[in-house]
Amino acid sequence: MTDNNTLTFRPSRRQTLMLMGTAGAGLMAPSVLGRDRALAANATGQLVLGFSQEPTVFNPMMPHIEVDEGIYYAIFDTLFDFDEDGNFFPILVTEVPTVANGGISADGLTWTVKLKSGVTWHDGTPFTAEDVKFSLELPMDPSFRSYRSTGYSLIKDLTVVSPTELSWTMTQPFAPLAAVLASTWIIPKHAFDGVADKNTAPFNNAPIGTGPFVWKQRMAGDHIELAANPVYHGDGPHIQALIVKYIPDLNVMYTQFKAGDIDVVGLQWVTPDHYAEAKDLPGKTVEVAGSGTFESFALNMMRPQFQDSAVRRALYHAIDKQSIIEALYYGIPTPTETYMPQQSFYYNPDLPKHEFSIATANKMLDDAGWAKGADGIRAKDGVTLSFTNSTTAGNHLREQAQQFIQQSFKDIGVEMKISNLPPAVMWGDYWMKSEFDSVVVGLNVLLGADPDTSNYFLSTASPARGGAGQNTFAYQSAEVDALLKQGGETFVPEDRKPIYHKMQAVMREDLPFLPMFQYAVCKGRKANVSGPKPNVNNRIDSWNVRDWTMS
Amino acid sequence: MLRYILGRLWQSLILLLIVSCIGFFVLSLAPGGPLSQFALSPGMTQEQMQKIAEQMGLNRPLPVQYLDWLRHLLMGDWGTSYRDGQPVLHIIGQHVFATLLLMGTATALAILIGSTVGIFSAVRRGSAFDYATTVLSMVALSIPTFWFGLIAIYFFSLKLGWLPAGNMYTVGNGSLGDYLVHLILPAMVLALVDVAVWSRYMRTATLNVINQDFIRTAKAKGLPPRRILMKHIVGNALVPMITLAGLQLPAVLGGALVTETVFTWPGMGRLFLDSLGYSDYPVVMGLLMFSAIIVLLGNLLADLIVAAVDPRIRLE
Amino acid sequence: MTMTPDISRPPLIRSRALRRFLSHKLAMLGLVMVLGLTLACFIGPYLLPYDELYIDLRARFAPPGTGAHIFGTDPLGRDVAARLFHAGQISMAVGFAAMLISICIGSAVGVISGYYGGRTSAVLMRVVDAFLSFPSVFLLLALAAFVKPGPAMITLIIAVTSWMEVARIVEAEVKSLRDRDFVQAARMLGLSSRWIMFRELLPNAIGPIIVAATLTVARAILLEAYISFLGYGIQPPLPSWGNMLNGAQQYLQSAPWLAIVPGLAITIAVAGFNFIGDGVREALDSRSDQR
Repeated sequence: MTDNNTLTFRPSRRQTLMLMGTAGAGLMAPSVLGRDRALAANATGQLVLGFSQEPTVFNPMMPHIEVDEGIYYAIFDTLFDFDEDGNFFPILVTEVPTVANGGISADGLTWTVKLKSGVTWHDGTPFTAEDVKFSLELPMDPSFRSYRSTGYSLIKDLTVVSPTELSWTMTQPFAPLAAVLASTWIIPKHAFDGVADKNTAPFNNAPIGTGPFVWKQRMAGDHIELAANPVYHGDGPHIQALIVKYIPDLNVMYTQFKAGDIDVVGLQWVTPDHYAEAKDLPGKTVEVAGSGTFESFALNMMRPQFQDSAVRRALYHAIDKQSIIEALYYGIPTPTETYMPQQSFYYNPDLPKHEFSIATANKMLDDAGWAKGADGIRAKDGVTLSFTNSTTAGNHLREQAQQFIQQSFKDIGVEMKISNLPPAVMWGDYWMKSEFDSVVVGLNVLLGADPDTSNYFLSTASPARGGAGQNTFAYQSAEVDALLKQGGETFVPEDRKPIYHKMQAVMREDLPFLPMFQYAVCKGRKANVSGPKPNVNNRIDSWNVRDWTMS
Repeated sequence: MLRYILGRLWQSLILLLIVSCIGFFVLSLAPGGPLSQFALSPGMTQEQMQKIAEQMGLNRPLPVQYLDWLRHLLMGDWGTSYRDGQPVLHIIGQHVFATLLLMGTATALAILIGSTVGIFSAVRRGSAFDYATTVLSMVALSIPTFWFGLIAIYFFSLKLGWLPAGNMYTVGNGSLGDYLVHLILPAMVLALVDVAVWSRYMRTATLNVINQDFIRTAKAKGLPPRRILMKHIVGNALVPMITLAGLQLPAVLGGALVTETVFTWPGMGRLFLDSLGYSDYPVVMGLLMFSAIIVLLGNLLADLIVAAVDPRIRLE
Repeated sequence: MTMTPDISRPPLIRSRALRRFLSHKLAMLGLVMVLGLTLACFIGPYLLPYDELYIDLRARFAPPGTGAHIFGTDPLGRDVAARLFHAGQISMAVGFAAMLISICIGSAVGVISGYYGGRTSAVLMRVVDAFLSFPSVFLLLALAAFVKPGPAMITLIIAVTSWMEVARIVEAEVKSLRDRDFVQAARMLGLSSRWIMFRELLPNAIGPIIVAATLTVARAILLEAYISFLGYGIQPPLPSWGNMLNGAQQYLQSAPWLAIVPGLAITIAVAGFNFIGDGVREALDSRSDQR
């Protein structure tokens, strides 16, 4: 499986290893290191990557949004990461821990990680297991404002065996930990030595990493400048200067891409209405790429209107998905029946297909005893089929889809009132504590390529029902609960697959959210840029920025 | 004089206190908050959000938060952004240049064009020119700035391709010429309303001067009309314009906010909208206070200059 | 109450002011613009074959003049003309309501401050100054970002940020009248302060208030457009002139009419009110006869 041909764009450390399953032994040939460095020193050119949101949080352990991760991939390294096929490849480790290679014990409770040697931080300090220990412990530091505790809270007895090896035990088997580690950027312990308040450490605004690019400077509200790390431990980077430019308006971003001011259009990408024009632009490569986010019409399962499964199925039949995708989204996204991205190993392709039919929907509601009142709105036992629907104000395409759905629902005697909110209000208590009736939302419920979704679908994960998690649908299913538990404790992918297939089937039947489509985005870059590659398992374009080249 | 200034400063302080109080409570009482943006992050839990809120001091009683903020402000600490942890003053400092560049250019344009038009229509009162400019300036005052911006982009950028549709400079360029090219459209759009305001006021001010005795005297003395115009009329009409410049400040700042949005100009207006979107209260409050201070100081300065220029006015 | 001194302006002056107003060409043009637009907004929807909410994805982005779509269609295939007229009803209603509320707040604050003077006046006028020292768009957005955006809320927010001018005008007027004979007389008759303030003093300031009112309607329509354009105002599918422009920037290249049409409507309405306001001001200004 080893592929030492550094001339291709699938470099050596991109050996694909199946998660803890098949024995794909990855061994870095030590000689490769020297050659890589030579390459990095030859890095040339300046690449401008445009984002429509501004990266502002530079300590990856602190609460951040996806655009911030666009910077992390350049400055920091994770121990290992997911490639576009959902397989792990090593970055700071010599091999990805699996049950097969002994990195994870058979019961899933003991983990051992072996680190590369000779890696240094951007300031020249050697990188050691102490840094990894620090990075894994920091999220649980009570005085630290940490991003999350999922997974980290189960780690105990973290032991540094040697500068290049550490091990720990888990309080319970937790397969998604590998996915958590794949998005844990390792930060330097020494940057926090003697810092009283880690929340305001100087590091947070002048990050030091082991990654392919070194922090140069930030012009707030405008751009961030990064430079090639000449002593990067992997192969790459191949670009001398990386400018991450913040352009808040998608039209302006597209115009600048067209004009050649931006080399790669990142996050929020080319808007669908520009796709037809963009794909024929000379000297530009514009591709549609799947994303891990799925659009759904989420229901609050605590509302009386949505208790009857006939209502949920009827609503689903009344959504004209095809028209929404074809007309409003210019045919770019893919229709879906589930939350699982179609690129995933765990995707269930055999779910019943959605069928748009106002007649079927009307019949279903008639049969279930929902009779139309004088105002044309259906009701049954004192419950009227009238509810509000919210989404983030300012998302034009989604607002259009919402109004289109509103009209379809009217045709089946359902009144949907639109009440859109600014993002800060929408995703506050309104969403987290299930204060909504229904919401049109784009969600990525996965942690990287791991299929576990306990945080979203477990009955006990509903804050509105007194739980902790993001089950804002307030969905309750004993069957799903059992499947999630079983899946979380199973480590071999082939064994996990049927569990999650079953779960997707159950949820397609229950419809706590009406799945609409899996997002796809139009990524654009200049033709002389190679390397950017879609990856549904990572949240942002720059996940493999170390491989990007310009000719 | 000194007493007057001190009195005005004292009044301004009280004003600022009221401003800050209104601003703070309006922002904080609203639903949502700075943590909402993390709600959709993978692995985020309600518990974790609460923990973060606690660490940031967001769940303390509001009056306590307000007094704490005020106490720091009085000690010169404007707080730090919830988004990037940078000091608020530093962040404002990074955006103030862009706004000043835009506002300054627009105001200079407006004064130049507006005063000229105003003086001429006053001198030729009742002429077709006077009537046309009066009507036009009222129409200009009625056009929504942002819409005018959109129309300008449509014609000059999309149709004619002469000027860029937005941003302050081209990435990787940033030469003076590049800045200027980017500046033309937004400055023109922002100046439109001001030209209207300035020409109207300048016309009135000139008319007031023209009718005064000393002008008649000057005319009687046989001074050339051009000299009368330049020296006596303009000189005297300019005095009230200084006050106007002070009073116009909030409007120009507000106009800049909307214009910056349309042209993705990286100034304080965009910072304000971004910060508002993320509920970054310290920055929003900082901007509110900053603009209020600018406005108050501007007014005070205008009054002082007027007093210095015009001996007839005495400050009590 | 028959003893109440008659303080209203003599009818002669009023009619002269009216005459001046009627002969003011610009004001008449303004009146025609506003009335024309109002009529169009209220009658137009009945003349059009389309419902402002009816979505037809097959007819999206039809340019003006396609079939019966005189102003074209929007991204959802809705008739822009139908939406424009409905939006006009909403935008103008918001403008008027905001004007009424801000006139009420402004007059009350102004009259109280002017009548009592002293400390009351100092406090009230400082609050006025405080409101004036924000750029109003900042304050508007700060408020609008955090309420549930509906027409009523937006109206209230606009009113809350535009009453200060009226307060200043009324205060100045009342202050100058406070010590006049008829007020003294009213006091001696034992009339309550409230009666004097609202029945004796306020009517005297009615001229400037009318001017302020027309200009406030114009301003309120503009402000609604600003906040709705930025996405914080009235929410779709309910159309308003401002929110019809929200999102129009995205289609500037392919469907420029989406931006041009509502913007023109706003400009006509606002200019109309401004013209009227100017006419009223000149009509009430007795000096203007001498010009």
